[in-house]
Amino acid sequence: MRREGSPFTGTGAVFAKEYADHLGSARMRVIEALVVIVGVVVVWVAMRDLKDKVTQDQFIFLRLFTYAPESNPVNFAGLLTFLIPLVAIGLGFDAINGEFNRRTMSRVLSQPIYRDALLIGKFLAGLATLATGLIALWLLVMGGGLIVLGVPPSGEEVARGLAFLVIATAYGGVWLAIAMLCSIIFRSAATSALTALGIWLFFSFLWPVIAPAIFDGILPLIAPQRVLAGSATADDVAGLLDVQQLIMRFSPTVVFQEAWLGVFSPDQFTEQQIMRIRLDPRLGHRVIPGSPLSFGQSLLMVWPQFTFMVAGAIVIFTLGYVSFQRQEVRA
Amino acid sequence: MRRALVLLVSLLSITIFPALAADPPAQPRVTGLWLITEYPSTVAKPGETTTVKLKLQNAGLAPEALALSVANVPQGWKVDILGGGQVVGAAMPAINESVTLNLRLELPANTAPGTYPVTVNAKGATNNAELKLAITVGGDVAAKLSMKTRLPALRGTPKSSFEYTFTVSNDSGKDLVVRFAADGPRGFQPTFTEAFGSNEINQIPIEAGQTKDIKVRVGLPRDVAAGDYTVKVRATAENVTAETPVTLQIVGTPTLRVSGRDGRLSGAAEAGTASPVIMIVSNEGSAVAEDIELTGTMPSGWTVEFEPKLIDKLPPGEKKEVTAQIKPTAKALAGDYIATLRAAAKAGDSASADFRVAVTTSTLWGIVGIGVIAVALLVLVGAVARFGRR
Amino acid sequence: MSDDLVIEAKGLTRRYGRGPTLAVDHIDLAIKKGEIFGLLGPNGAGKTTTILMVLGLTESTEGTVSVLGHDPLREPLQVKRRVGYLPDSVGFYDNLSARENLIFTARLAGIDKAEAGKRIEESMARVRLTDVLDNRVATYSRGMRQRLGLAEILMKRAEIAILDEPTSGLDPHATFEFLEMIRGLKADGVAVLVSSHALEQVQSVCDRVALFNKGKIALQGTVEELGEQVLGLRHDLLVEADGQDIAARLGKIEGVSAVEPPGSGRGLLVRADRDVTAEVVAAATRDGGRLRQIRAIEPSLQAIYNRYFEGVKDAA
Repeated sequence: MRREGSPFTGTGAVFAKEYADHLGSARMRVIEALVVIVGVVVVWVAMRDLKDKVTQDQFIFLRLFTYAPESNPVNFAGLLTFLIPLVAIGLGFDAINGEFNRRTMSRVLSQPIYRDALLIGKFLAGLATLATGLIALWLLVMGGGLIVLGVPPSGEEVARGLAFLVIATAYGGVWLAIAMLCSIIFRSAATSALTALGIWLFFSFLWPVIAPAIFDGILPLIAPQRVLAGSATADDVAGLLDVQQLIMRFSPTVVFQEAWLGVFSPDQFTEQQIMRIRLDPRLGHRVIPGSPLSFGQSLLMVWPQFTFMVAGAIVIFTLGYVSFQRQEVRA
Repeated sequence: MRRALVLLVSLLSITIFPALAADPPAQPRVTGLWLITEYPSTVAKPGETTTVKLKLQNAGLAPEALALSVANVPQGWKVDILGGGQVVGAAMPAINESVTLNLRLELPANTAPGTYPVTVNAKGATNNAELKLAITVGGDVAAKLSMKTRLPALRGTPKSSFEYTFTVSNDSGKDLVVRFAADGPRGFQPTFTEAFGSNEINQIPIEAGQTKDIKVRVGLPRDVAAGDYTVKVRATAENVTAETPVTLQIVGTPTLRVSGRDGRLSGAAEAGTASPVIMIVSNEGSAVAEDIELTGTMPSGWTVEFEPKLIDKLPPGEKKEVTAQIKPTAKALAGDYIATLRAAAKAGDSASADFRVAVTTSTLWGIVGIGVIAVALLVLVGAVARFGRR
Repeated sequence: MSDDLVIEAKGLTRRYGRGPTLAVDHIDLAIKKGEIFGLLGPNGAGKTTTILMVLGLTESTEGTVSVLGHDPLREPLQVKRRVGYLPDSVGFYDNLSARENLIFTARLAGIDKAEAGKRIEESMARVRLTDVLDNRVATYSRGMRQRLGLAEILMKRAEIAILDEPTSGLDPHATFEFLEMIRGLKADGVAVLVSSHALEQVQSVCDRVALFNKGKIALQGTVEELGEQVLGLRHDLLVEADGQDIAARLGKIEGVSAVEPPGSGRGLLVRADRDVTAEVVAAATRDGGRLRQIRAIEPSLQAIYNRYFEGVKDAA
């Protein structure tokens, strides 16, 4: 049955209201204060150590995001890997059930809009809020870097930083979609928040432990005979490592980590690559040391991770969308 | 042992020395006083000073003071007799001894050519001696140089070193300062050194009657063509010149050079896919390079194929573009690698260049990624179509 | 459909799940322009579901609805633009002021900004909330929220106002005020659809009512019609009089079936089949009796409802 009008009528109004609400809400203030304080501390520690290396390092500004001193083994990007999901869950866990619980849902839906607009407007507003926070934080880091390091970032560093922003927003989108899905499925905000946090804990902390176990479990099924016989070639091992990594990549956290490493470390191999080279030294043979990848190559390298996150966010959002559309309006 | 040697030496001394003492040199028994010179006829130049070596010989006469004088001195000449470096008026040779004297003749610049007789007298109380000298003014025999080389023709490639050794003789009666120079085709660079020295020289003093060995090295211009070239090596002193031609027989060689197009020694290749890298082989030598083989040193697992595989002939001064299809291993990690491309002529020269090959990740995954997003969006659009507008 | 019908439903049915029970079972409704129509019945009788189907917020399983000439399923935006809805225990964004809440609604409804500002002032004045227009809704009482909901409908200039349980949880004074405002809507020519389980409260404002029971409309019409239909033509009187054996005297009047104490208050309830006012006055004032009060009793919806369903039960 074809209904009149655009399903997106009113999206703008919902977006504007939700965005203003997010930015003004006490909850967001607390989350942002937390992120800024922790971020500033981490970056400050990094800057203190990096100050002496300004002249030696082509990508000194990118190190602000990735540098971790030994005393404090957390870098800024790694920190965001954990904090972005928290912020996204904070923004999304009561998006829909909150409307029901406040008994505003049927009143809003009795206005001349479709509920598509409500869901999409809320998702976009959450995403925009995340992006706003990330941009603010990014500018804070870059500005601090300018003051402390005393050199301007190169054009490529800025471009890489912006690419990171986009990737981080996509990552936030995945978690926002998960949180909103929970808010659609569960009528209780507490249940929704706990479920979303549970998913976050699972993928951030448990999955890196579980994935190798799963891999070990399926190893006899997928490994060639000669590997089981104990005579694996380097190619075999590399192939199996790829499979293990593939299992790991079911976690958005792992994917995001790969992505920011690729964007921020053009002159370094990723852990995966180092392992591959160790297995098969031919791969690293005659690579000119210290020659960084071009920006385009770095982007191409992290493109699968980025698309995975975007597509994942869209699919999870679609799940929530379908489930929301099938719900009854009456509370 | 040592004592035995001493004993032997002393025995020898006893037997030999008395024999030497007992046998005086046999000399003609002539007595008299002579004023002699080795060259009674000599050449002088106007405006210059000429010295004639004299000897006053006393044979078997009692020594006495002999006054020295010069007669028949032409107008304007200044004549001195020198002994022991000073002007002297008399000499007194001992019995059977001689006194060496020098007659210094200072000729005015306007002295007319011709032969002038000059008489030197030594007058004593009992004996006299007289010497007639003929001084010839003018003539061209004052300075004389000659040079010769044992190997006047050398054969070599443009990269060889052409070195010729000369013997330069001062055949004149006086010391000369000899300057060297060489005339050759344009671009030929001569350098002179002593035969067994390394200092570069352009002039060297040679005493009268002496010889010196001089080495000349001829540097060649880069683009010298094959052929025979003559370089005239010249030695000059005062107004005399000695000249010897030397021949450089230059045999042509090919000189290969490998470069990238527009000087770019870089290329990009996708992992697992062959990508062309243009290399330019040029012959900067002087002969045709034949059967140039093209090879490459690649990171392992990589392959390279050349198009053409072989260059049959490459004349000097010409270049040829070769496409190297470089295929990195499918597992190559993105990054910059070094690939050495080499061109080697069958006989002779070879050249190589390091190309920086940037391995790029396949854009296929980029397209796949876009496809994945497109599918996800399609699912969303489908959901909107199916469940939308409620 | 005739021109003055704003809502017309025919055979409207809604089934939840696969069970045999229907939340709404083939109901027919016809609501005229400018009337107040009551959907009455206990909780769970299908009133809210009916309202949602009218608004297009729930799809009907069977049957058709036409709202102002539009099908709410095909043209929900048209319908929702012209219909105002005050849901059961309406909620607002507590962190926003009443004005901000209304501005948001206005934006959703596509009312331009300047016009919305003007309309918000107007409608808030009508519901007498001007003083607290910029207070956060969190500070509002239940009654104020209901009035704010009404203001939203006014602001939209809705042609139909659908009010779901508007008086539940309100104190009597607030209820009275609110009902007055509903009458105000009617005065503007707005058709009002009120649902309530509190039959007595809305009886006074409704022009016509539909009594819901288990998804069906049991009865439909004016209260008088229903009373006649269910209770028969009744001429009950409440009589308060001083005198000897008043009850006995009244009971002897022809046509009086019973004289009994009323459910509450003083006096006697005289049930009669015909108009016995004159006889009652005569009987009460006889022998020095003093008639203090005599008043005809309108048929109570509650009584109608109770009687009707007792009858249904008896018949079953």
